[in-house]
Amino acid sequence: MTVEHDIEAMDQFPVGMRVLAVDDDQTCLRILETLLHRCQYHVTTTDKAQTALELLRENKNKFDLVISDVDMPDMDGFKLLERVGLEMDSPVIMLSAHSDPKYVMKGVKHGACDYMLKPVRIEELKNIWQHVVRKSKFKKMKSIVTNGESEGNSDQNGVRANRKRKDQSEEEDEDEEEEEEQERGNEKKPRVIWTRELHNKFLAAVDHVGVKNAVPKKILELMNVDNLTRENVGSHLQKFRLALKKINNEANMAAANSHFTQMSSLKGLGSFHHYRPTPLGSSQFHGGAATMRHYPSNRTFAGMFPHFKSSLPRNHNDGGYMLQGKPFPSLETLHITNNNNNKAFPSFTSPQSSPLVASSNHLVLEGHQQSSFPSFSPHLEINKRLEDWSNAVYSNNIPQSNVHSKPDALEWNMDTTKTTSFCRDTDFGSSNAAQADFLDPFQMKQQHENILDPMTVAELSRSSSADEGLFMGQQKLENNFMASDAGSLDDIVNSMMTQV
Amino acid sequence: MELAQMQKSLQDYTKSLFLEGVLDSQFLQLQQLQDESNPDFVSQVVTLFFQDSDRILNDLSLSLDQQVVDFKKVDPHVHQLKGSSSSIGAQRVKNACVVFRSFCEQQNVEACHRCLQQVKQEYYLVKNRLETLFKLEQQIVASGGMIPAMELGF
Repeated sequence: MTVEHDIEAMDQFPVGMRVLAVDDDQTCLRILETLLHRCQYHVTTTDKAQTALELLRENKNKFDLVISDVDMPDMDGFKLLERVGLEMDSPVIMLSAHSDPKYVMKGVKHGACDYMLKPVRIEELKNIWQHVVRKSKFKKMKSIVTNGESEGNSDQNGVRANRKRKDQSEEEDEDEEEEEEQERGNEKKPRVIWTRELHNKFLAAVDHVGVKNAVPKKILELMNVDNLTRENVGSHLQKFRLALKKINNEANMAAANSHFTQMSSLKGLGSFHHYRPTPLGSSQFHGGAATMRHYPSNRTFAGMFPHFKSSLPRNHNDGGYMLQGKPFPSLETLHITNNNNNKAFPSFTSPQSSPLVASSNHLVLEGHQQSSFPSFSPHLEINKRLEDWSNAVYSNNIPQSNVHSKPDALEWNMDTTKTTSFCRDTDFGSSNAAQADFLDPFQMKQQHENILDPMTVAELSRSSSADEGLFMGQQKLENNFMASDAGSLDDIVNSMMTQV
Repeated sequence: MELAQMQKSLQDYTKSLFLEGVLDSQFLQLQQLQDESNPDFVSQVVTLFFQDSDRILNDLSLSLDQQVVDFKKVDPHVHQLKGSSSSIGAQRVKNACVVFRSFCEQQNVEACHRCLQQVKQEYYLVKNRLETLFKLEQQIVASGGMIPAMELGF
């Protein structure tokens, strides 16, 4: 279905939406067919996955949406899902009597737009058309990606398993962010934006051939995306590999002050921190995660914020890619739930912290939804909130001491930035006094366009007031620690991101 | 029997099935999907269900009677039965399947045999009840009456 067709049919849509339903169970298939008819969709059914693929291949635009059972004798539903995603890029909804989260996760990972449990209710089917709209909107944006407009990924396709309401509100926020991003990017020369969707495809392709055998040509073929060149894929792959390597190294690194300073020179440092709860290696992460909530997932966002006016001497190969979901091996382990975050920091309701919360929520949701993708929203938000953040973050350093008193303080610290950032929010209001001190060093740092070395950071720490000096130093170190981790990821991200 | 009386009997009968937990709200959904364009929807689907289930139960009996039980085969059958029974609202069958599956995971042959018996029992029960239900409906229709819509007030 072309975009124009979509627009024309908008008046009637979703009436007449063409659905292909696949389920080997006759009873369920019949019921599904009737339910779909009730929703006024146009339905084709088959009980064999193979037949479904043939039907889809016959005419890639024949169906708007595919609903498929997971357990089928002739082909695993997930395999079908993958194939459809790679070959046709149609939205696919998984259907199963398995409510096990593992299956849901698998569906999400393989690119399903949604995962429904049997027995299916008509209310759920009434809204499935949203996936079609989302996908076509994305396709539309993708098609003009190389025309000099940097368009953000407008949706979270295939990422939301069971998060309808949250997703919707999240989407709205993201859309706003993305528009801003686009405006900013309009002056830039054409470059390929590695949107979440695109990166998803990239990951699927890499997965398919195996990371070791991943060559740009093959990946490009598998991805089957217009306006993408082998060079684009090649440099993205290189960054990806570097990121993986770095993440593994990062896990063992102690304070990488240089990173921190690098980070500090980034405007969005504060938010950076915020978003990167723990740019620590996954091992640390897990430790932290076990105790802390699941902030670790935010980690993946680390460095996902492309919009730093980074004066870091970064390499922008092709005008920068936005690194999406770089640390994605660890992504799977990152499960942040919105609930957790909220419970953790109920004090987030303060106005200042709301941006944080929103962003973190975004992050959280995003991270949760799709294992390989940190959402776009974080960096989009960063643009907006950079200034707020940087102040907020640094001024909130002191409050970390409160955090220290918690059990597993070490983990808490390590854990991070996330917690830190949240704490910051919380404490922000109450630690105004501290702000001034922090702001100075922060400003200082911001002035440094170059990477500061550890010495500088130490100096900065010392420069803070005596009372808090120690603390701050401590805090800073932690921050440094985090920052450094963040920094390294940031490096990766920066190099891969589209710079604003 | 008078038409009104038949209709009342049908309603009471259906209600009792819900109260006993033999059927759940999913069955109501099916009934709501039935309309003029689809007048026999419920009986069609239920018939499909009976056909599928008879086959699955047969396969299950065979699998469990093997010398060495292959649970990798047993589990998908039970899973499918669980899916289809939940789709038509055969609640007790579905619940029996859930228990069955947990014993499959434990690879407990003895328990699985018992579960199969339980599932069969529930299945024959719901089959029997639904067949009676359809007969009642047919009588009403044959007498020129309409099948009363199910009230959800209970």
